[in-house]
Amino acid sequence: MTERNERLERLLGPTGPDIGCEECFVRLDEYVELELEGHDAEARIPGMQAHLDGCPACREEHDSLRALLS
Amino acid sequence: MTVACPVPVERNWVEALSADGVERDEALAALHELLLRAARFELGRRRAALSHVRGEELGDLAMQAANDAMVALLGKLDTYRGASRFTTWAYKFALLEAGVKVRRRAWQGREVVLEPESWPSFADEGPTVESGPEGAELLTALQRAVREELTPHQRAVFTALALNEVPIDVLAERLDTTRGALYKTLHDARRKLRAELQEAGYMEEENE
Repeated sequence: MTERNERLERLLGPTGPDIGCEECFVRLDEYVELELEGHDAEARIPGMQAHLDGCPACREEHDSLRALLS
Repeated sequence: MTVACPVPVERNWVEALSADGVERDEALAALHELLLRAARFELGRRRAALSHVRGEELGDLAMQAANDAMVALLGKLDTYRGASRFTTWAYKFALLEAGVKVRRRAWQGREVVLEPESWPSFADEGPTVESGPEGAELLTALQRAVREELTPHQRAVFTALALNEVPIDVLAERLDTTRGALYKTLHDARRKLRAELQEAGYMEEENE
């Protein structure tokens, strides 16, 4: 992807289903444990990855929970 | 501020927190300790954003985050379904509260720009969408779509969050709304803009 496209994608966010901030928080603990156990977390919780790509605050919380548990 | 987080011993937290007397008091104290540890961990990770904040205030922020997380968690205790370990479930409350406090403290006193006048800062950032003739057209199309296709509220939210990269919790506080409501607005705005650019031939259409 070109830098221009990357910039545009960052502005316009991910495509596809996005579970939103509330549902992200509800299922974040489950998602991170699935990831750390090597499961396909996105298959179990569809739309989480798109949300984490589009919401920097939820992404930070995801990354922190992963780091805390690792 | 890096804090080691030993794996806590699993216990029947829900039962202990729902009990009476000493058992509940002990569970509450252990839970608070766990939440404070997670809050300190988060503040340690975000230390760069708080380089101007004194150590004493950092300690207060961690304690406030743990206290707020405790209240939020206890209010949702009956929603815990065991999809993860209880401690993992609990940690996320402290990480959320600490993260929100860090972002708001880092932006304390800073202006949040909600108007599209902030476009120039976007155009000045290194290689951007406006490089080259086609890029200039794309930028013009995007600016037009932001101006004409979005509602005033969508435009303000898109400008602040996507263009100016204001943290969503900071904007939520300034606009007296929630992170979820703002993200929904941003999501709708992005979908409109993407559709406009696709229709104008600047982006390929995706199958959602």
